[in-house]
Amino acid sequence: MSIVEFKKVTKRFGQVTILDEVDLSIEPGEKVVLIGPSGSGKSTLLRCINALEEINGGDLIVDGISVKGSGRMVRLIRQEAGMVFQQFNLFPQMTALQNVAFGPHRVRGETRQEARSQALAMLAKVGLADRVNNYPSELSGGQQQRVAIARALAVKPKLMLFDEPTSALDPELRHEVLRVMQALAEEGMTMIVVTHEMAFARKVGTRLIFMEGGKIAVDGPPRELLENPQNPRLKEFLQHVA
Amino acid sequence: MTFDWSVIWQALPELLKGARLTVLIALAGLAGGLVIGFAAGLARAYGNVVLNAIAFVYVEIIRGTPIIVQVMFIYFALPILADIRINPLAAAIIAIIVNAGAYIAEIVRGTFLSIHKGLREAGLALGLPFWKVLLYIIGPLAFRRMIPALGNQFIVSLKDTSLFIVIGVGELTRQGQEIMAANFRAVEIWSAVAMLYLIMTGVLTLILRVTEKRMRIL
Repeated sequence: MSIVEFKKVTKRFGQVTILDEVDLSIEPGEKVVLIGPSGSGKSTLLRCINALEEINGGDLIVDGISVKGSGRMVRLIRQEAGMVFQQFNLFPQMTALQNVAFGPHRVRGETRQEARSQALAMLAKVGLADRVNNYPSELSGGQQQRVAIARALAVKPKLMLFDEPTSALDPELRHEVLRVMQALAEEGMTMIVVTHEMAFARKVGTRLIFMEGGKIAVDGPPRELLENPQNPRLKEFLQHVA
Repeated sequence: MTFDWSVIWQALPELLKGARLTVLIALAGLAGGLVIGFAAGLARAYGNVVLNAIAFVYVEIIRGTPIIVQVMFIYFALPILADIRINPLAAAIIAIIVNAGAYIAEIVRGTFLSIHKGLREAGLALGLPFWKVLLYIIGPLAFRRMIPALGNQFIVSLKDTSLFIVIGVGELTRQGQEIMAANFRAVEIWSAVAMLYLIMTGVLTLILRVTEKRMRIL
């Protein structure tokens, strides 16, 4: 069964149509890389999956639950679909450890003790065992983003959504975030990634989706599409980002 | 003229009694004002159309009328309209609650809305209900930003209690007025009254400063 299924999903902001009857099925274990020009709807598509954006038409089923369900149903979806943001969005009043322990404790209802030990393990996994007591303002962008990944993983999601996770980072800090993401992919996590990192798409992605004008224009294996793009718009786009 | 200190020593017990009442009215009024202010402020920031409209009308009516008119209305007009009896002290406390509540509502609304919306999304994306996002994430951050503005409001409300002289509450200003009427020592009495207000607002400022220092302002 698909873990994410778009059925003619339409999303509008006022008069502007951002997603135009999008159909898309994503199976567990896939690493989907979403690319496209700005304004093509890729971030919106991602944000519809965990209902940060409300859809205006069609239906969208995530892990068997419709995003159009009650507040409780939407929260169940969000617990299964972790999200990493371009701007990290760490809670500034909490240390790295508190940020990561927050989800297990407040969302999954685990004791402070359990949440803490899981958070420590999670931070060690993203290579930040020595920074657990630092506040976000005391960490570099790359470190902050790794804490943010650990925070999302700590809730034990089945699926991870990445919204341009490296776009706000200096080039030399990107690789540390991409390395963590690659390790996660190798563990078998289902991932949907909006990015401009073509090397990552080629190396880690199992599926590449090129969006244009609120529709999926191209959908296929990354290596093939990146080496030999048939679609003229994709070809042009790749020339610009390369 | 000579400044006669003995006048102040003689008057001090009565003045302190008044100051005690001033503190009581201010504390009770501000405690209530915080509750009303948070409720109205959150309704303005996040409430549906109905809640938002109710809070908006409340804030505009209170901000648009003088507090002295409000307390007159509560003490003299409300008993006629609603057929209830209100003692002066209760009227004074209610006036501070209602008045401070409106201003605190705007402080609450402003600070909550000033918190970056990405943090709200991050909280929601974890699967938390919105009220928990407000309680655990936005609230603590907003509260830190609120302290300077709340401090202002606390001081204003404390001093506003002096207006309740008009309904005969025996607070500090009223006590001063009564002593002055008996001994005609205006300079000594009003100097003492002013000093007592300064001490009260000074203590308040100190408490706020310590609170602010103990928190990481973000």
